[in-house]
Amino acid sequence: MNYGFVIDNRKCIGCHACSTACKSENQVPLGVFRTWVKYTEVGNFPNVRRNFQVNRCNQCANPPCVEICPVSAMTQRDDGIVGYNSDQCIGCKSCMQACPYNSIYIDPETGTAQKCHYCAHRVDRGMEPACAVICPTHAIIAGDIDDPTSEISTTIAANNVTVRKPEQGTSPKVFYIDGHQAALTPTVTMSTSKQFLWSDVSETNMDQHVDENPTLYMGDGSQMCQTTYNTRHSIPWHWQVPAYLVTKGIATGIFMLMAMAFIYGMANLDSMTNVIAGGAVVAFTLLTTVFLVWDLEKPERFLRVVFQPQWKSWLVRGAYILISFSTLTGAWWAAETAVLLGLIDMDLGLIREVAFLGGFPLAIGAAIYTAYLFAQAEGRDFWQSPLLPFHFFTQAMMAGSAFVVILGEFTPIEPDFVQMAFHGFSIAIVINLLMILLGEFGVNHASDTAKAAAHSITHGKYKNLFWGGAILAGNILPIVLIGLKQPSLGALLALVGLYIYEHIFVMAPQHIPNS
Amino acid sequence: MDKKHENLTSGHAYGVPSFVDSDKKPLELNHIRHGDGRMTSHPPCEHWDDWTEWDAKSWPKQVAKNYQLVPTVCFNCESACGLLAYVDKQNFEIRKFEGNPVHPGSRGRNCAKGPATHNQIYDPERIMHPLKRVGKRGEGKWKRITWDEALAEIGEKMAASRKKRKDGICYHVGRPGEDHYTNRVIKAWGTDSHNSHTNICSAAARSGYFQWSGFDRPSPDYSNAKTILLISSHLETGHYFNPHAQRIIEAKMKGAKLITVDPRLSNTASKSDIWAPVWPGSEPTMILSIANYLLENDLYDKEFVKNWVNWADTLKEFSTSNELANTPDLKALQQAIAADAKLLEDYDTFDKFLKATYAPFNFEMAAKECQIDAKILENMAIAVSEAEGKLSTHVWRAASMAHLGGWQVARTLFFLNVLTGSVGNKGGVSGNSWNKFVPKPFDEPPHTDTWNELHMPHEWPMSFYEMSFLLPHFLEEGRGEIDVYFTRVYNPLWINPDGFMWMKALQDEEKMKCHVALTPTWNESAWYADYILPMGHAGERHDLMSQETHAGQWIAFRQPVRRVAMEKAGIDIKYTYESNPGEVWEEAEFWTALSVKMDEDGALGIKKHFMSPYREGEIITQNEYWQWIFENSVPGLPEKAKEEGLTPLEYMRRYAVYEVKKDHYQPFAAELVGKYNADAAGRAVDEKGVVKGNMVEGVATVGFNTPSKKLEFFSATMKDWGWPEKEYTIPWQLESHVHQSHIDREKGEMILLPNFRLPTLIHTRSANCKWLYEISHNNPLWIHPSDAKRIGVAAGELVRVETEIGYFVDKAFVTEGIKPGVVACSHHLGRWKTSGTAATGQGIGSGMASVVDIEEKENGECTLKIKQMGKPWKSWDPDTSRVWWEDVGVNQNLTHAAQPDPVSGAHCWHQKALNVKKAEATDSYGDVWVDTNKSMEVYQKWVAKTRSAVDHSPDGTRRPMWYNRPLKPTKEAYVLPEKPFGR
Repeated sequence: MNYGFVIDNRKCIGCHACSTACKSENQVPLGVFRTWVKYTEVGNFPNVRRNFQVNRCNQCANPPCVEICPVSAMTQRDDGIVGYNSDQCIGCKSCMQACPYNSIYIDPETGTAQKCHYCAHRVDRGMEPACAVICPTHAIIAGDIDDPTSEISTTIAANNVTVRKPEQGTSPKVFYIDGHQAALTPTVTMSTSKQFLWSDVSETNMDQHVDENPTLYMGDGSQMCQTTYNTRHSIPWHWQVPAYLVTKGIATGIFMLMAMAFIYGMANLDSMTNVIAGGAVVAFTLLTTVFLVWDLEKPERFLRVVFQPQWKSWLVRGAYILISFSTLTGAWWAAETAVLLGLIDMDLGLIREVAFLGGFPLAIGAAIYTAYLFAQAEGRDFWQSPLLPFHFFTQAMMAGSAFVVILGEFTPIEPDFVQMAFHGFSIAIVINLLMILLGEFGVNHASDTAKAAAHSITHGKYKNLFWGGAILAGNILPIVLIGLKQPSLGALLALVGLYIYEHIFVMAPQHIPNS
Repeated sequence: MDKKHENLTSGHAYGVPSFVDSDKKPLELNHIRHGDGRMTSHPPCEHWDDWTEWDAKSWPKQVAKNYQLVPTVCFNCESACGLLAYVDKQNFEIRKFEGNPVHPGSRGRNCAKGPATHNQIYDPERIMHPLKRVGKRGEGKWKRITWDEALAEIGEKMAASRKKRKDGICYHVGRPGEDHYTNRVIKAWGTDSHNSHTNICSAAARSGYFQWSGFDRPSPDYSNAKTILLISSHLETGHYFNPHAQRIIEAKMKGAKLITVDPRLSNTASKSDIWAPVWPGSEPTMILSIANYLLENDLYDKEFVKNWVNWADTLKEFSTSNELANTPDLKALQQAIAADAKLLEDYDTFDKFLKATYAPFNFEMAAKECQIDAKILENMAIAVSEAEGKLSTHVWRAASMAHLGGWQVARTLFFLNVLTGSVGNKGGVSGNSWNKFVPKPFDEPPHTDTWNELHMPHEWPMSFYEMSFLLPHFLEEGRGEIDVYFTRVYNPLWINPDGFMWMKALQDEEKMKCHVALTPTWNESAWYADYILPMGHAGERHDLMSQETHAGQWIAFRQPVRRVAMEKAGIDIKYTYESNPGEVWEEAEFWTALSVKMDEDGALGIKKHFMSPYREGEIITQNEYWQWIFENSVPGLPEKAKEEGLTPLEYMRRYAVYEVKKDHYQPFAAELVGKYNADAAGRAVDEKGVVKGNMVEGVATVGFNTPSKKLEFFSATMKDWGWPEKEYTIPWQLESHVHQSHIDREKGEMILLPNFRLPTLIHTRSANCKWLYEISHNNPLWIHPSDAKRIGVAAGELVRVETEIGYFVDKAFVTEGIKPGVVACSHHLGRWKTSGTAATGQGIGSGMASVVDIEEKENGECTLKIKQMGKPWKSWDPDTSRVWWEDVGVNQNLTHAAQPDPVSGAHCWHQKALNVKKAEATDSYGDVWVDTNKSMEVYQKWVAKTRSAVDHSPDGTRRPMWYNRPLKPTKEAYVLPEKPFGR
């Protein structure tokens, strides 16, 4: 048993009956859709056509939403249906980042991820999904694609079928007969009209805008190729995520610097330094957790990540790395503080050895695991960069050392260590700049959406923020200030610039349309 | 009623429905193997009384809910598709509406509007109780009254009017949603009261079809067609969208060619093999060029034309007519006939006549007139010629309702069916009356003997039908006054052209003495009513409907589903409002009660028509009314019911539908039983000399419902009633009021195409359907990029459209999918409520209507300005606070001049846009400005085009006797008035 859909575009008349039947069957609130009909218009009068495409969950054979879900709220059933469980979902929205089709939304009533689940509650008892029942022209064919005699199998066999974004490796099981490229590939249309055929263009649609380099060559631009009806999709992750990246970078960066000082004897770490810098590690790690939980729709369910883990998810793996890191560093810092305050009296040698030797790889892990989580986000090709683990490492080094440089201005930490941080900062920021310019933005991106995201950063919506904020203020000016012997000011600017960069890095790909 | 159920009826708590958990388990249908490996689509009928399914919202938790499934009929357009309501067996809340699988028209499927019925029922803005105006009209002050009070007060006013005269009551219906019930009631009153929306809807097409055949709408057999030619958008709208779209696509998948004619890229046009965006109004020329191609290449069905067309009459007329013989070739033919009278009896003469008549319509000439590539015309003609007599064509509103002389669109289009022999056959076009079944009720009151001058004035003797949209203009001119005015599922102020004239009329308590709005929901017109009587939606009422969706006949029974479910559960219900939300009633019961109230002592002879045929001296109930019909008037139904061990009424309550005839073709060719002779015109005449049918090669056949009993190529009626010119008597092109010669594009003039519909909306009635409004909530102005560039606007920017009487401001939707020179605006959206309405907390939901300020100045100038766009609002439905859109459209109809066609009486929808330009700095979105002085000027300009029966009636009557009317009065009423208005 392996359920799928055929959408026969030869028959689809774009009537939206499936959309309202789904709302009715599944009691879907306003503002979100499990299935909808996208309209695109291509051509020049009178050689012009409007294309209709029913968009919905592809019930992927290789569903990235299931892989990324930290708590198994997204599941792939034996019959091929990709289901969800609202009672389990923590609202982390990573499934929405993993879905390359915009098929998942947060239900405003429960605050949990929902989507088309193939009317599993009907199908389980042998009843067709509601959309297939209502379709006036029988353009939606539901059935078992493993049964060679079924209508759906014979239809797939007898026709040229295509799917949305097969290159994502998801193996979609919604097959289109007569699919049109302008509808299948969201970045094809040069623009989303500022006014839809009969509805408002929501802000997110307006944002989701590929204004240059459309992937379908349609002449010199005088040929119309526009989206004229689509539904709204909200941006899943907000400012807390870039903030989490920055605080995590600072925490892990400081610790890595200390570990290097300790292990390789690059600088002396006295108790005061350990308490102050270690305190910063603990504080920023805590802050990191706060930001992580803050952007959850169901923060009260956060601990399920720990107690009901789905081990393939890097959210889970990352959480365990973070927990290990914070436990270890927390314990060490508590010991350091207690000793310094004279609350207890003990030899910290072994504790330090364990903390720094054990904590170093954990810090590296905590710094870079997000790259693997981002790589699981099949819906954001721009994030799926092989350079990313190294970049996160560099950023952590830069952020951590920058913070130590600033600490050196205000606190009695070991100048030797501050000097080491200054060197680390100077090297890391140059590498960071090179990684951004020669790496992330210098190397051509493999997919259209990654390209579009990069383009919106360097030449589009984000260009001022990127060049002015992230590059100039966040990298070049600090390097100049280092030259001018104003490292603390440079370090401060670098941290601000890092937030700006992370903000752009997190937000830009979310604005590239996936449907 | 037993105590247990008391709280479930009459005024039961109304809010977000919840459903009771059940211990039962859903049926396992997994073992059922359908031939094609499909799953089961609908609950099998035998389980409708006890259906359990998993609750979707609780999923993946398996929570069962138990329902009574009650079939009913959708009310969200005129197609009458089947619905199946899921009614909770414990608390009788309605969970959802799906399709009714046994309905032969809709076959278990629906459009987006079907499921949205649920929105209408659980609409937080519903009117729950009868209301009576206190304070001034339109002031917005209401008090709740009981149904008894409403019946007594309105009944008294009606009785008083009826005692005085028989034309003082007007029943103005938008969506009838049934076929005979109300008409019977009106006949019982003895008055000429029926007024409809037909003349803003289908009058022109009716006129064109009727002249040919005596039936007034087409019924194409799409599924068997080889070529489908649509001057319509039947894949998204129209009579009958869902049933027809299914069948059009079915034919397409079997290889049929689909051609769509529309200046705008409709969804239908997008699905077509050929899209012909001709200049609006040139459609007859386009069609006649196809006809000419068929004729000149002898690709037409001569046998059919010879047998069924009044060619002999036509030739006879031609032999002496200067009108028909207006070219050298035709004059020569006329002279040949003069020399040899035998030619009159030779079909070849008619063949020559046809060829010579239509020879000017070559592709080059037509391409110029239509502003389209001649190659497209040729491809269309080839597709029509290759139809092998299986040509399905359709026009209902579209171009026919858009133009002066638009009825010729239907007349010329049906000409193609006649030429290809695609009439009533498999794949061809039948008459609606052949595929529609209207059973007779238990009692038929006599026809009225009165003619209501406000409905059918003498200037439009051929109109189809009442000149409904001119009512305010007639009142303004002092043609009469109305004692009791019912509006029923009708929002005249909003939907008709010249809405400010309506606003004035509705406020005039002298001329419009009492206005009763029968409506499920608030609307702009109801605001100016004296009584608001809430009536039910699709699942809350009784109606019987039949529609000509395909080559067959069926009846469908709309039911109040809660009532049916409650009665099945043993709860006793007397009136439907006991089972509906609040005190929402249904018309069927209301009319009976009101009519009885009007004539309590029986002196007016009204009450006797409402007495039970089963219980002596008792008033008829709904059960009895329908019981009688199903037992006595529907052939085959009692037998079919018996097979299942049910009474006919039980059968209809169970299935809500019955198929009367299947595969019904060419009833006109059926042989007449008895002895008949042919008269001089080739008609079959019985022994008493009464014309009964058409003689075809010596065989008497049923023929057509025309005076000649044939399809009338030449219309003697048109000639006799003052329209003798060739372009009126035979299929021809009439010059539209927006013909290209009248639109100076250099000066910025354009055509405004304001009458297209969307697949997701219900005319003006969608504002209570959140799922539909979420998809489509505004009506931007479609404009071609070249025009947009010329006037300097981009998508989403404001445009001002100036008509002959005013202007409106809308946003631009820039698309290649519209003909340059034409702008288009959907007619659905732009609902509003006044600040006053908004302040009372009554009216349309804030996310569905703008709040506007209206100013009516002394000098006749009127303005409407949007004060507040759509926005989320708080109600018991959490969804209303999730409304994310703002722009809910512009009420463009206010700026349309009323343009009555002098023949069909249709409002010619297309407006000459004097200017379409970038909005001025002072303009705001949604601004409307109208000068009602100009309204009257334009109206009078159009009245001047008419040819009154007073001047042209051949026999002193008001209207050709054979022309349809929804309720024909007796012969006496047809006599021309002694003092016609304006004389």
